[in-house]
Amino acid sequence: MSTRDEILDNLRKNVRETYDMPDLGFKKRIFEDPVKAFIETTTTTAGAKLMEIKPNDDINEKIHEAYPDAKIISSNVPGIKADRNPDTVAEAQDLDGTDVGVIMGGVACAENGCIWIEQTMKEKAICFISECLIVIVSKKNIVSNMHEAYEHIQFNEKYNFGTFISGPSKTADIEQSLVYGAQAARGLTVFLTE
Amino acid sequence: MSTKHTIAAEKFLQNSEKVTRHDQTFWSVRVKRDAQSQELPEWEELREAASQIKKHTITHLAEYLEKFEKNATKNGAIVHWAKDADEYNEIVMDILHKHQVKKVVKSKSMLTEECHLNDHLIKHGIDVVETDLGERILQMMHLAPSHIVMPAIHITREQVGRCFEDYKISPEVGNYDPTYLTRCARYHLRDNFMTADCGMTGGNFGIAETGDIVVCTNEGNADMSTSIPKLHIVSMGLEKLIPDYKAMGVFHRLLARCGTGQSTTVYTSHFRGPRPGGEMHIILVDNGRSKILGNEEHWQTLKCMRCGACMNTCPVYRRTGGYSYTYFIPGPIGINLGMLKDPDENYHNLPACSLCCSCDNVCPAKVDLSSQIYRWRQGLDGMGHADPMKKFMSKGMQVLFESPGLYTTALKFAPIANHLPKFITEIKLNGWAQGREMPVFAKQSFHELWKKGKVKA
Amino acid sequence: MKIGLFIPCYVDALYPQVGVATYKLLKSLGLDVDYPEKQTCCGQPMGNAGFQNMADELVENYDKLFKDFDYVVAPSASCAAYVKLFHPNIVNHECKAAQKTMDVVEFLHDVLQIKSLPSKFPHKVSIHNSCHGVRELHLSSPSELNIPRFSKIKDLLQLVEGITILEPERVDECCGFGGMFSIEEPAVSVRMGTDKLNRHLATGAEYITGPDSSCLMHMQAIAKHQNYPIQFIHVVEILAAGL
Repeated sequence: MSTRDEILDNLRKNVRETYDMPDLGFKKRIFEDPVKAFIETTTTTAGAKLMEIKPNDDINEKIHEAYPDAKIISSNVPGIKADRNPDTVAEAQDLDGTDVGVIMGGVACAENGCIWIEQTMKEKAICFISECLIVIVSKKNIVSNMHEAYEHIQFNEKYNFGTFISGPSKTADIEQSLVYGAQAARGLTVFLTE
Repeated sequence: MSTKHTIAAEKFLQNSEKVTRHDQTFWSVRVKRDAQSQELPEWEELREAASQIKKHTITHLAEYLEKFEKNATKNGAIVHWAKDADEYNEIVMDILHKHQVKKVVKSKSMLTEECHLNDHLIKHGIDVVETDLGERILQMMHLAPSHIVMPAIHITREQVGRCFEDYKISPEVGNYDPTYLTRCARYHLRDNFMTADCGMTGGNFGIAETGDIVVCTNEGNADMSTSIPKLHIVSMGLEKLIPDYKAMGVFHRLLARCGTGQSTTVYTSHFRGPRPGGEMHIILVDNGRSKILGNEEHWQTLKCMRCGACMNTCPVYRRTGGYSYTYFIPGPIGINLGMLKDPDENYHNLPACSLCCSCDNVCPAKVDLSSQIYRWRQGLDGMGHADPMKKFMSKGMQVLFESPGLYTTALKFAPIANHLPKFITEIKLNGWAQGREMPVFAKQSFHELWKKGKVKA
Repeated sequence: MKIGLFIPCYVDALYPQVGVATYKLLKSLGLDVDYPEKQTCCGQPMGNAGFQNMADELVENYDKLFKDFDYVVAPSASCAAYVKLFHPNIVNHECKAAQKTMDVVEFLHDVLQIKSLPSKFPHKVSIHNSCHGVRELHLSSPSELNIPRFSKIKDLLQLVEGITILEPERVDECCGFGGMFSIEEPAVSVRMGTDKLNRHLATGAEYITGPDSSCLMHMQAIAKHQNYPIQFIHVVEILAAGL
């Protein structure tokens, strides 16, 4: 018998009593104003910055405003003036040295600042390797809690990857001191659009 | 009346300041966890749901694993099965050999600790680099984790700084600022991410319906490990499977809140298949888990999602440190998992519990941790590991308490114990006398007072 | 209402005044109280040490002695909890007496629902929320759970004239007694007790009070060793003060 079948066999043999899946219909916390709550969470506990972007704003100017010292910008988002493009770089390594990566966010969650990032670029490294990250989020995509968020996440079948990101990379592994920018982005700014 | 834990604990407790720091560090995480739980009116319903989802999944695990395998394979991942640590380590080595891997970057995985993977890889000439900051510090210092979520919290900033100086990754000698040291590690690890041939991660959850592997980190190290190398190996215990995204919503809301007192980890990454042009291998590891399922008294340990909340609340763990336990997972869950793994080696940890039951109340999956510890104690005598002194004392109590006549007589003479010289009542055998005065017997017991009609309304 | 009084072994031998106070209080509330003399212990010391099987005869004896009372009341939360939760498992059958066993605090609060007491205690007291009282009998809301806050102990103490009720930081952390734990892990146990005592002291209380004489005994033993200026008193002694 293969290991696989042996394991499955043991698992079947060793069950004495089975249990049903519970009803998950209990009441969940909903925010009266999820957008307001998302802004609050993002800029406090998540440790990120947030800029509201109006329809007439020039997004490239806004990027400059957010990170005036940035020299290398990477993005595949249409309309962004980028120095590197995660779709066209030869290797993920080529994105190292990116000062600001600009990516699109999907559903965003008010209770914890999580933003769903569906991989829509060849090299997802841009989401992590950039010194700072700008995530563009539409107010229309903000939900209250993770139960709702999981109903809305999407996957690009070509890339098979997605991640919730809430704020910059952080660690408290040295004597519990909170430090932003452990291995991935040191800073994160949400561009909140209408 | 001592075990390896009691001896190690006594030693740890000699450094009072260290104990205070250790206790306060983990208590502060408990406080943050409490604050998070208070924010959600549905908190207790979430815990109950998590417990029931786990019970359901674990008792239908064969079907869910088959479903998971089917979906993951459809997504382009390669699924392997390992019955024990040896088989697991061999599978990893095979994959690495096939891809001529020289360097592996690894994000934190308790399963690889359980299977001693790193030793195995190093023996075969593979350069293994842990990428979680805490794990990396421990790896450089040749130490094991002392906690499953905050593995290096017991190390001071000075120790970290000196270690980084030894490894030549901290140019500013004597700078022990945590932000500075974290930057040093960032550059050092960045170099390793750039040059690794393979990224290894654990799996916090496997989702049967979609074939996703979900990995949660704060540092983004699992993502760095899998964004640059083309080869990704996932190692996951069988019990980490959950049915679907509905279940995932429940566990997501509990994991970080319980583990570190955050409303979420910074990254919750769903790996659904290989990178374009890469390979993704998922190794499903049994290593005793299917056997645990058959253990009527202890199968619910399989509900554990390794958040560490039981350690943070445990008054004994907080005051004795992770290294006082003989199993690599300390605290209440570690006591139980250790017994399931190897009772002869790990019965030493059973005294490390005052049965305060706080762990039962913080566990997000409602594992009955303290009851299980109580039950293990009942089985010790049968295993030949009962402490002779405890057995002798219990036997004495049995004789005394089974015979009301004898008990009453003993009560009469008990006050005499008050007048024995201290050197008799405080002999070394009597652990009570270390730091405590002996309790004083009343001149007349309640029994006697009652008999003499002295108990009056 | 016929009440059986269960005075656990260590209360019997070390703190008979707690038993006396319980009796007086219950009688003053007009109850028919009896004390079956052949009682000994609840069996917990053996159980926690890993020898619950040695307690089987004792459990049967307890059941025989107490099964015909309407309620069995004990001034010790931990012992009452052990009887209630563990006795049926030890002997593998339902135990009538165990079902009727209650700690005196829950009996006064839940069954009698007393709303006034003639007692006076013009002192500052710090409540010791003992583990089994909190997490097994739910005398107060466990700090870990997100449920409405309550404390039956506080509710009762508030009926006492002149009392100032305080609680320590880390309101229900263990004092480190744990029965056999206290002598098997003495170093940890003493440290836990010392930490707990210091938090009680920090409230500025003159007394530490609680529903479990075992925890009080443990902390008292440490306080005495280190000459801490604090006194210990069982909740029921305060409730019966002045009777």
